[in-house]
Amino acid sequence: MFGLIGHSTSFEAARRKALELGFDHIAEGDLDVWCSAPPQLVEHVEVTSPAGITIEGAYIDSCFVPEMLSRFKTARRKVLNAMELAQKKGINITALGGFTSIIFENFNLLQHQTVRSTTLDWQRFTTGNTHTAWVICRQVENNAPSLGIDLKTAKVAVVGATGDIGSAVCRWLTARTNVGELLLVARQPQPLADLQSELGGGRILALSDALSEADVVVWVASMPRTLEIDNNSLKKPCLMIDGGYPKNLDSKVAGGGIHVLKGGIVEFCRDIGWSMMEIAEMDKPQRQMFACFAEAMLLEFERCHTNFSWGRNNITLEKMDFIGAASVRHGFSTLNLNKNLQAAVA
Amino acid sequence: MPTLNAPEVSVLEGHDALPDFTTSAYKDAYSRINAIVIEGEQEAHDNYISLGTLIPEQAEELSRLAKMEMKHMKGFTACGRNLGVQADMPFAKDFFGPLHGNFQIALREGKVVTCLLIQALLIEAFAISAYHIYIPVADPFARKITEGVVKDEYTHLNYGQEWLKANYEASRDELFEANKANLPLIRSMLEDVAADAAVLHMEKEDLIEDFLIAYQEALNEIGFTSRDIAKMAAAALSI
Repeated sequence: MFGLIGHSTSFEAARRKALELGFDHIAEGDLDVWCSAPPQLVEHVEVTSPAGITIEGAYIDSCFVPEMLSRFKTARRKVLNAMELAQKKGINITALGGFTSIIFENFNLLQHQTVRSTTLDWQRFTTGNTHTAWVICRQVENNAPSLGIDLKTAKVAVVGATGDIGSAVCRWLTARTNVGELLLVARQPQPLADLQSELGGGRILALSDALSEADVVVWVASMPRTLEIDNNSLKKPCLMIDGGYPKNLDSKVAGGGIHVLKGGIVEFCRDIGWSMMEIAEMDKPQRQMFACFAEAMLLEFERCHTNFSWGRNNITLEKMDFIGAASVRHGFSTLNLNKNLQAAVA
Repeated sequence: MPTLNAPEVSVLEGHDALPDFTTSAYKDAYSRINAIVIEGEQEAHDNYISLGTLIPEQAEELSRLAKMEMKHMKGFTACGRNLGVQADMPFAKDFFGPLHGNFQIALREGKVVTCLLIQALLIEAFAISAYHIYIPVADPFARKITEGVVKDEYTHLNYGQEWLKANYEASRDELFEANKANLPLIRSMLEDVAADAAVLHMEKEDLIEDFLIAYQEALNEIGFTSRDIAKMAAAALSI
């Protein structure tokens, strides 16, 4: 069985969903009530891949909402309790969706392996970042040409280049595509310099300089609320892949030759009978989902019960190849511009 | 939309530090918490013995559970003594008063299901969650004792769970009723203890969530659906 740990995009959205599911009393509660609400296994699903394999899965809502981010202990508890529930339910491989994996990493939850009487078995969890990175790379390769951008001469900026997903994207673009030039953007200079030497190339730039030069921008960093982007300083056309979480890039730019694509989103080849993807605000909630969630499904399809994506900077090209091939084999395609989905055939 | 901010997080992480067990504020709060625990174990002992009169064929097993509770009571009495704290027993008697009253009424009426819900589910889940949260912030002596106790309490929760599971259909309606009448009492007990618990570095939010996890898990094992459970648990979340 595969598992997905997710959460609503806001407190208001969480309340609406709870009402819809018939959890009226909790829905009416204030944020403090939600802070004390335990994780819920909200639904079971069965999915059959085009390869003829059927798997079962469960969606766990951690009852976390982004408004709890400033409450460090609450956020930590939500993630750990949801993971404990997944393990207790005997789920083989569970993806940490949305803020879950970000909290896990930034709040250093590896130090909290014991939750009450349960010792968390890290092998049962995956951040899903390998699949996310592969999907983002495919989105670059599939969509740049449709805007008339020739990747061979294009400059591709990766914002958040030293992160887990960002560095994997850089590795893939360097090794597997002939991009004209890679522009590396991140906050800390030393990891940037290390990445540049690992890649054997790429140019380190400040964000504003990179934006004005780039034909393609891959965003895999959390964006400061205060960040403003001057549309006039951007190249046109420009493909922007919004691979961060939450996805809010289209509220800052878009239009006038700037094309924003939600990054790291995949679509399954048939409807999945679940209701929970609506809370992730997907356009087609019956088929679309975060690539990180799909990674748990892929690992279950492949009977690969291991923490495939774990820790920082462990994503290799081989791992991306493996998960990419599985993604195609089991009927997933990447989200593309103009809502026209093209099969993600490598 | 808030985003993660690493420096802020690292500042907040310092909060897990142990309290100073020697301050008068700590000892004052401990006098009530310790009393609650001692009284709770005593009542648990008495309740299991009483349950033996309602389920005579299991009287022996229940008496074994009761004996464990007495052992716990002695352990916790030693924890108070170790810190030089006099447990405030009159406070604890009042604290358990309403729940104790409900148990006695159910006992007189021969309501096994209600008695099991109060003692083997609610009180045990309450104890398990509180002990788990206490262990990381306890003094070394109490920590050792509590770690031993918490293992036993799962046996007790399990006892009630198994009995109710085996009699689920016949118990269902009474469980709904008993939950409605008694879960709010647990919630107000949590409120009453929150300020003292905070002095011991145990947070109300944690106590409620952990209690609900243990309680919901038991209800789930017994046979209730997620939706039933969420409805039942709501009585603990909203005041």
